[in-house]
Amino acid sequence: MTKAILKKQLMESFSWLYFNRKNGKKRTIKGIIGYVALYLLLFGMLGYIFYMMAIALAEPLCEAGIGWLYFVLMSLVAVVLGVFGSVFNTYASLYQPKDNDLLLSMPLPASRILLARLAGVYLMGLMYELIVMIPALLVWFMVGRVSAVGVILSLLLPFVLSLFILSLSCALGWVVALISAHVKNKSAVTVALSLAFFAAYYYFYMKAYNMLLGVLNKASEIAAGVKSYGYPLYQLGRAAQGSFFGFLFVTAVIVGIFALVWLVLSRSFFKMATMQKGAAKVKYRERMVKRQSTDYALLVKELKRFTASANYMLNCGLGILFMLIASVALLWKGRVLAEVLPLLYEGAEEIIPLILAAALCMIVSMNDVSAPSVSLEGKNIWILQSFPVSAWQVLRAKLRMHLMLTLPPAVIMTVCAFIVLKPTVGEMMFIFLLLVLFTLTMAQLGLFLNLKTPNLKWTNEIVPIKQSFSVTVTLFGGWGIIIVCGGLYFLLGKYVGTLGFMALICLFLAVASVILRWWIKTKGARIFAAL
Amino acid sequence: MLQINHLVKTYGDKKAVDDLSLHIQPGEIYGFIGHNGAGKTTTIKSCCGILQFDSGEILIDGKSITKDPLGCKSVLAYIPDNPDLYEFMSGIQFLNFVADIFGVSAADRQERIRRYGDMLELTDDMAQPISAYSHGMKQKLAVISALIHTPKLIIMDEPFVGLDPKASHLLKRLMRQICDEGGAIFFSTHVLEVAEKLCDKVAIIKGGKLMRSGTMEEVKGDTSLEEVFLELEEDK
Repeated sequence: MTKAILKKQLMESFSWLYFNRKNGKKRTIKGIIGYVALYLLLFGMLGYIFYMMAIALAEPLCEAGIGWLYFVLMSLVAVVLGVFGSVFNTYASLYQPKDNDLLLSMPLPASRILLARLAGVYLMGLMYELIVMIPALLVWFMVGRVSAVGVILSLLLPFVLSLFILSLSCALGWVVALISAHVKNKSAVTVALSLAFFAAYYYFYMKAYNMLLGVLNKASEIAAGVKSYGYPLYQLGRAAQGSFFGFLFVTAVIVGIFALVWLVLSRSFFKMATMQKGAAKVKYRERMVKRQSTDYALLVKELKRFTASANYMLNCGLGILFMLIASVALLWKGRVLAEVLPLLYEGAEEIIPLILAAALCMIVSMNDVSAPSVSLEGKNIWILQSFPVSAWQVLRAKLRMHLMLTLPPAVIMTVCAFIVLKPTVGEMMFIFLLLVLFTLTMAQLGLFLNLKTPNLKWTNEIVPIKQSFSVTVTLFGGWGIIIVCGGLYFLLGKYVGTLGFMALICLFLAVASVILRWWIKTKGARIFAAL
Repeated sequence: MLQINHLVKTYGDKKAVDDLSLHIQPGEIYGFIGHNGAGKTTTIKSCCGILQFDSGEILIDGKSITKDPLGCKSVLAYIPDNPDLYEFMSGIQFLNFVADIFGVSAADRQERIRRYGDMLELTDDMAQPISAYSHGMKQKLAVISALIHTPKLIIMDEPFVGLDPKASHLLKRLMRQICDEGGAIFFSTHVLEVAEKLCDKVAIIKGGKLMRSGTMEEVKGDTSLEEVFLELEEDK
């Protein structure tokens, strides 16, 4: 029984890997290898950032004889990333999956269902944790002069830590579920809670460099503090150095914490999963509604879909918030930037507009609203397919939604940047054009990728929103385009100049945009009609 | 109103629909009967332009569903067997969305929403999100959304599933009324008693092939529709 339900959960979590949702067939070995290679590449890119961090910490701490503190610090970073990555998935997986009713109606104890759900969350947390822990361990083995036992225990510790991540994730997910079960506007509350979490995370992230310096400057004091007041953390570090006692102690503490969380969850899971207090019934009052055009109706439908889902807003529309935050930050602290940038690029000031454009595009690329929009039609696809609207009209509404949600904050952010950094009129014109074309290209790229890899058979909306090929590739593809363009500048910049280079990029984006639009309008529309 | 000529649809090696031809005239309620997996839903989806077929022709109001899909869809309404509607909308938002797509004027939609909403006792729940609806309520909402643009042809897949007896009775009355006013209805059902009482014509499909079709009298003769159906099912 447990095996069957665990198998189902794992099949759902990893179905994207071996199952082609487009044609409902198993992937070929080549396809699976390709997918794995792509994800490994993406993980490698992120892992590199943590590798650099690990190098910066490991050498001084190991030389000072407090290498265990390095392992503790990297583990804490891994835990933060693991919780950050899996907490939303926890809430969606535990309390919102569409098959909760089906499973609860079966002769399965609620605890078994919970166990299966947690297995999925555990793997998700482990996946995020390993982005930090793999480079951390590599550096640890290179610099830490670890014994053979230390190597074995260090390799086991991430799996134990992931149980701690699971516990924290569940505790936070439980709080979200509890609040959500008692409020009217669940999406708004989930978004607010998630944003508070994001804010805390990014505060920590922004302070990370200073904290890193602080840690290195006061390493001995911190080590003494951890020994005195954070004994389990000290034992975690010792475990990584090969202490069996440390390993058993840390494992016991983490298992104890998990047992507590399990106790609370298993007692409340059934109640939570079946509680549908909802809002009081709103009585319909008839009123005349103005007739709208088909295109307007389709656009409003897309916007309603977006605003009705906390998952959709948080995972695919977070760029909106970042653009607004960037706008305020530019107006507030932009003067510092205006002073620092010329100093930073002394002798190469002409590159500043390009840096500015790249930074703006980087933030814009965090919006990938169009990337899961086809998959999100799910079982409702028959509605639009049976209506007298062309597939292109439907797809165009999805593109318009993306542009409508992205362009206004992007323009505000750009204007703020212009006010602060005062580029020339020519630079302003090209930065603005570049930003608009980049937004257009990204909107179309997301839709293109989703049409190529649609998934209408999801049971949990988190699958198309967060775990789909189109969303991942669109997000990282945007950054990839920016990085490639940066590289090209060093090849071509000296020949064409900054403005000339920006004109070339604009031309490239315009051509890409036209090609993508043509593809979506013709082949994409045919794919959508045949889904 | 609906002409299906030599329709063929295969899934891999299996012929789901094999050379099926049917003609549904204005004013007719046409029942479509067959066992599970007989090819009813495949035929229905092909007629609505949401499933591509291999060969044959489907004409709606004289227009080809493959050559002029939008023209065909503008005069038809489709109600699937399991009405998965937009759960992020309220009932009234969904009806207004459908009305906007079909270009129904403000006054007409208001009058029709009131009429059909009251008739199917859904008016009070129109402001509720669809996610809070029961299966029957979703089915009623799908029916209202189908009627909101006064289609010439209504295609329904198992329309009575999930409806309470009163709503079921009202739907049958509505179907008759629509056809008396010149509309046409093509629907699949497993409830043979309903088909026998309600339909002007009936078609029985088995393994994708049309086994029998015509007026109710032609198909069942002196026996009951159930006996004919079971007899055909037993013929291997």
